[in-house]
Amino acid sequence: MEEADSKLDLSTFLLSSIHDMKNSMGVMVAYLQDALTTPGDVPADSGAREKTAQALYEAQRVSDHLVQLLALYKIDQAFYPFDSQYHVLADLSREALARVADLAELRGITLECDCDEELCAWLDYDLIFGVVVQALHNALRYGKGRVMLRVRPHASGARISVEDDGPGFPDFLLAQGNARARGISFTTGSTGLGLYFAGLVAGMHKGAGRAGMLRLENGGPLGGGVLMLELP
Amino acid sequence: MLNLPRPDLSSTEILVIEDYEGMRRILRDLLSRAGATRVTFAANSQAAVPLLERHRYDAVLCDLHLGQGLNGQQILEEARHRQLLAPHTVWLMVSAEKTAEMVTGTMESRPDDYLLKPITETLLFTRLSRQMARRRDLAPIEQAMRDREYLKAINLTEAQLGQPTPHLWDLKRLKADLALHVGNHAHAREIYLEALGERDLPWAHLGLAKIHFLEGRHAEARAELEQVTRGNRAYLEAHDWLARTLDKLGDLDTAQAVLNAALTTSPHAPTRQGQFGEIAYRRGDLETAAGAFRRQIDLARQTPLKAADPYLWLSRVQLARGKGDEALRALAELSVDLREDDTARLLARALEIPVHLQAGARERARALTQELSGELSAQAHELPAEAILELAKPLMELGEKDTAATLLTSLVGNNHEHPEILERAKAVFAQAGLADEGHALVDRATRAATESMNQGVKLAREGKLDEAIEFTREARARMPNNPRLLLNHAFLLIAWMEQYGRDLRIASEARSCIETARRLKPGEKRAGELLTKLELVGNDFGG
Repeated sequence: MEEADSKLDLSTFLLSSIHDMKNSMGVMVAYLQDALTTPGDVPADSGAREKTAQALYEAQRVSDHLVQLLALYKIDQAFYPFDSQYHVLADLSREALARVADLAELRGITLECDCDEELCAWLDYDLIFGVVVQALHNALRYGKGRVMLRVRPHASGARISVEDDGPGFPDFLLAQGNARARGISFTTGSTGLGLYFAGLVAGMHKGAGRAGMLRLENGGPLGGGVLMLELP
Repeated sequence: MLNLPRPDLSSTEILVIEDYEGMRRILRDLLSRAGATRVTFAANSQAAVPLLERHRYDAVLCDLHLGQGLNGQQILEEARHRQLLAPHTVWLMVSAEKTAEMVTGTMESRPDDYLLKPITETLLFTRLSRQMARRRDLAPIEQAMRDREYLKAINLTEAQLGQPTPHLWDLKRLKADLALHVGNHAHAREIYLEALGERDLPWAHLGLAKIHFLEGRHAEARAELEQVTRGNRAYLEAHDWLARTLDKLGDLDTAQAVLNAALTTSPHAPTRQGQFGEIAYRRGDLETAAGAFRRQIDLARQTPLKAADPYLWLSRVQLARGKGDEALRALAELSVDLREDDTARLLARALEIPVHLQAGARERARALTQELSGELSAQAHELPAEAILELAKPLMELGEKDTAATLLTSLVGNNHEHPEILERAKAVFAQAGLADEGHALVDRATRAATESMNQGVKLAREGKLDEAIEFTREARARMPNNPRLLLNHAFLLIAWMEQYGRDLRIASEARSCIETARRLKPGEKRAGELLTKLELVGNDFGG
């Protein structure tokens, strides 16, 4: 077999495997959610419940990552259908919060939202939705009791922040906060995929002479980590 | 804020098109949580299309990938094309991933929204509620468009834009597209520019490019389109327009490459395959052309887009490749697939003539010619230009000069302002050593067409409107596919109604002229303007 052929085969193979894994993870997430919400399946206050909730979190994390990998591949190969539309941000917020509501309840975390009903912004719904849900998952993992989704007008666009009351981001992540080009960090074991994706997505949103930005901070209103997505 | 109210779907008629039984159960369960009881299920297109023909659903949930038959995209396009959906019907496409067709295709190919799997209760209900509200707001505009009352549609759009609306840019985009449709380029352009002031929006670039293209500024159209296509092959409609533009600019190599990129993203669009095939043919890339027309035929066979053209092209290409058997096979397929279409059946038989001739079966070709010459002469006005040019040469060679002349005369009558076709008509005679006769025929037919135009105008100027109309009506019978004549005739009919009041029969005659002219010469600005005038005659809105 020619070398070029074997390379092509591998990337096709990887791609179809990612699709396949994504679908399997979707089914797994559905089963776990079902088990946790069906009365009597996993008794409350049991160790099993805690473990099932943890498994659900991990399954969602893997699923999010696979979706991001697919999107990254399309963006890299220049056929992602980027679709900027003028969306009502309250709709997006509601949908994102509802997506993580089960997990929040299991972890005993209160989800809060602060969003102006009328506020609109130009954005690719799927990409921004993906980033916000992932940020919420992350905040639910590290938060102690509260997670807040805050949406505010910012310059001509909007700023979407996800805040928690946890210990905040470790220094190395803060340092990398706005750097888009990061390799895999072997010392921390973080692939940086989530942040890379968020930064890339922010930067793809351009308008009013500016590009979107991703910012990480510690010690926001809730005292923990704050992830901010600024859209022009 | 956190608790999403479930919509009340108790009186909503919903169709679910889903091949996977497990997914049907999940959707049934989810929908029932919102009180939906009027839910119908179809497992594939064969089951779905008859249901869509019989009922007007409020919402359709359709999986993109269905096991057999048409996929979700094709069902949507068929349903829109045949107007099987009510103006307020919401179409949600269920898919594992966001595809280019769903986002960047034409207006007909885009669903209202798409649901990416896994489908959760929140996802389903937020999207369904949002789109049902949107469709409800836009339905009167959609209805006006269906009634082809474009001015009314524009006025309704303006009225909604005068109030706070969550669909601000949907409405503006719609208004721009409507303005473009009725030939009000200045207004459309204003909105596209405003949009580009907001964001680098592909649809606004595309809109500006269409205006450039329609006004003949092809280089500007290309520059505008390249801003969209450069580096991204997901924007399908922009690729199609770029190829069309490059074709006008004579850059066939790049046009083919552009279509190839769009086909890599989305290979299932029959029209795009046809465009690709024609360009490949003209570049002399016959093998590619044959493949493209083959795919176009297969993709369109079960859809309303099925037409004779791709079969004729395939036969033409195979003949040019020296594969007469394949050419005959394409023609045989045509007479089976379009058996209810008389012209298609006639063409399928007539185009065997050049194939037999090339194969040296001269007697067979001659017998067929004699059998069909009467029918060909009678239907000459309805035959496509390419087919006439293809037939005229062998007819000449077989001594059927009169039939050839009849066909070419009607070709010239329908295309008297199309220099390339006139030259090709003359070339048929020249090749038979009858150059002078060819010139004379083309001159005569062109003059007859021009005189018909002038005479109609002259009579109208003299105030003899009825006579003028009788005259252009008679000319239309001889030249039913001449865009200028059609528009002149429509103009006179409208002038008549302005004088004597609206008349249903006259209005529909005018509309049919304008629409045929528009199909023959897409984007003709005068056609849009006449549509507007036609709408204003005897109506008290607009102005």
